[in-house]
Amino acid sequence: MSRFILWLRKYQGWFGLAGGLCMTVGLYLGLVISPPDYYQGEVVRIMYLHVPLAQTSLLAYATLFISSIWYLWKRDPIIDNAAHAAAGLGVFFTAAALVTGSIWAKPTWNTWWTWDPRLVSFTVLLLILIGYLMLRMFIDEPERQARFAAILAIVGGVDLPIVKFSVEWWRTLHQPLSISPRGVSYSSDMLTPLLIMALGMSLLFAYMLMVRTQLLYLRQLLEAKKGRLLSRVQL
Amino acid sequence: MTGFYLRWAGIAGVALVVAWLAAQHYDREVQTITPEQLLQTRPEGTVRVIGLVQAGSLTLVPQEGSATPPNTTSPSTPSMILAEFELAGPEAHLLVHYDGPADDNLRELKTLVVIGHFTPAGPGGLDRQRFEAHDLDLLPNYGFITAAYLLALVPLALFLFGMERRVALLYTVIKETTAYQPEAER
Amino acid sequence: MSFFSAIGWILWKDLLSELRSRENFSSMLFFALAVILIFSFSFSTDQEAVKAVIAGVIWVAFGFTAIIGLGKSFAVELQNDCLEALQINPIPKGAIYLGKLLANLIFIFSVELLLLPLFVIFFNLDVLEKFPILLVIMIGGTLGLSALGTLFSALTVQIRAREVMLPILLLPMAVPVFIGAVEATRGLLGGEPFSLYRPWIDLLLVFDVIFIVVSFWVIDFVLDD
Repeated sequence: MSRFILWLRKYQGWFGLAGGLCMTVGLYLGLVISPPDYYQGEVVRIMYLHVPLAQTSLLAYATLFISSIWYLWKRDPIIDNAAHAAAGLGVFFTAAALVTGSIWAKPTWNTWWTWDPRLVSFTVLLLILIGYLMLRMFIDEPERQARFAAILAIVGGVDLPIVKFSVEWWRTLHQPLSISPRGVSYSSDMLTPLLIMALGMSLLFAYMLMVRTQLLYLRQLLEAKKGRLLSRVQL
Repeated sequence: MTGFYLRWAGIAGVALVVAWLAAQHYDREVQTITPEQLLQTRPEGTVRVIGLVQAGSLTLVPQEGSATPPNTTSPSTPSMILAEFELAGPEAHLLVHYDGPADDNLRELKTLVVIGHFTPAGPGGLDRQRFEAHDLDLLPNYGFITAAYLLALVPLALFLFGMERRVALLYTVIKETTAYQPEAER
Repeated sequence: MSFFSAIGWILWKDLLSELRSRENFSSMLFFALAVILIFSFSFSTDQEAVKAVIAGVIWVAFGFTAIIGLGKSFAVELQNDCLEALQINPIPKGAIYLGKLLANLIFIFSVELLLLPLFVIFFNLDVLEKFPILLVIMIGGTLGLSALGTLFSALTVQIRAREVMLPILLLPMAVPVFIGAVEATRGLLGGEPFSLYRPWIDLLLVFDVIFIVVSFWVIDFVLDD
């Protein structure tokens, strides 16, 4: 068993605890203490969940991108496990960000979906991540799987800023005048829970990354010891 | 493995406490009744009633000594006003006597929640039953907030639970296979 | 063999095999024709609706064409161990990429050139004096799709579900190409002054350059067996 994996197992608890505490404090401040927005009323509280989720999904892709470059450079299979783990988490956080964003949109803009540049960019991000996971699913040989996935992640990472830029540009041309930007009059009462939630969710992401990396590593280790069929028995 | 189960039992416990507190908060400060429910049940104490301010029914009782009309008051310095209006529900409507802070939201055809207590008609003094309100509130849309938080946090907890469980199981299985191997080689 | 003659050989090989069998070309052409026919049922009579969406329809048809052509790009190498032969060949892998890129560009662009008169006739478009700019837009867009598509074709050629993976990987990443091409085409067909839709063409060209360079760097890792 790799020393790095044992190190992850030892220290993951701290990240999880820190993340959990931060999020609990942040949720309390956000849901109970902080004031409702002057224009939006109570629904602004969804922001305390939606914005950190979106930030964390970008953090997940950044982790995926860096791990992929690192893998192609060093060819360390645990780094590949970390990349794979980051992609899985990225799908979750991106989907959650889109769902919460849509739920927030209904009372504020009176529509479930709008071709807002950020929503479209996040949808493209989700599709790229799902494509990444599907590619990994369809390649059986571990070395080729890791290599091709890393290439896809790097190309996607170069592509995402271009996607964001072009979608934003496209929307400024066709901006319907009725939809105002989701302007929130930020006061420090609102900024504090938001920052705490962002920090908490990033710590939670670090924890989930450590857990998931171990999961993928252990799964490969078990397959190496027992062979593919026997590994699938009890889980 | 036991540590894992204890940890998640603790998290589930915390979640239950939070859910109970949220339900309490809802009962006390969010839940509203319609005017017909009010007229049927005639509750004592403070209640919240939701309805539409009927067109043409809003009258502001002018206050003595007030130089500025209530509508131009800024939200940061609320002044007290007296107003009367009919609050309409789907089937019945209610005469509301409002004595509280001035609010931009108090206008006709606006759906409002009035907070106060119900004074039934009777020989005591009033010739008509009415609702004495001391505060106003907007239509709460907690449904969206609850939906968003549940749809994000519950799958997160399930996902994390599943991952941790599988990791714990894998560790035990791998430790067993390592311990088992010398015997298999014989 | 020098770098450029290697590109030339790959290009010549692909063109020759396609000219002999014509299977790639004909499947692209007929698929695109079916797409045009179906779209013309959707908007046939309403001229205003046609004007609003025709740029998008054109690029949907071109996009489907490209996907079919790109899928076959490396798939033809699977027979007779040609793919292994390419991989062990001492020519630089970047040359293989560029050769296939040019071959794809030529195939897809020639199908688009055949489709264009059909669009003009069916939907009554006015493109005659702006034809050179339209060609630039078409080349820019097709090059963008081919740059990524050739790389992804190499990536997916040996995996299961290859034909479905190529569009799944390509289409989200090619969003800027579609946005740029559709906006530029819409501006051109709508009679706008060139300076107004020129930035979209610039976007297409920048995208092309970036991704040809990135794919060229990365193809070594793909064809590395």
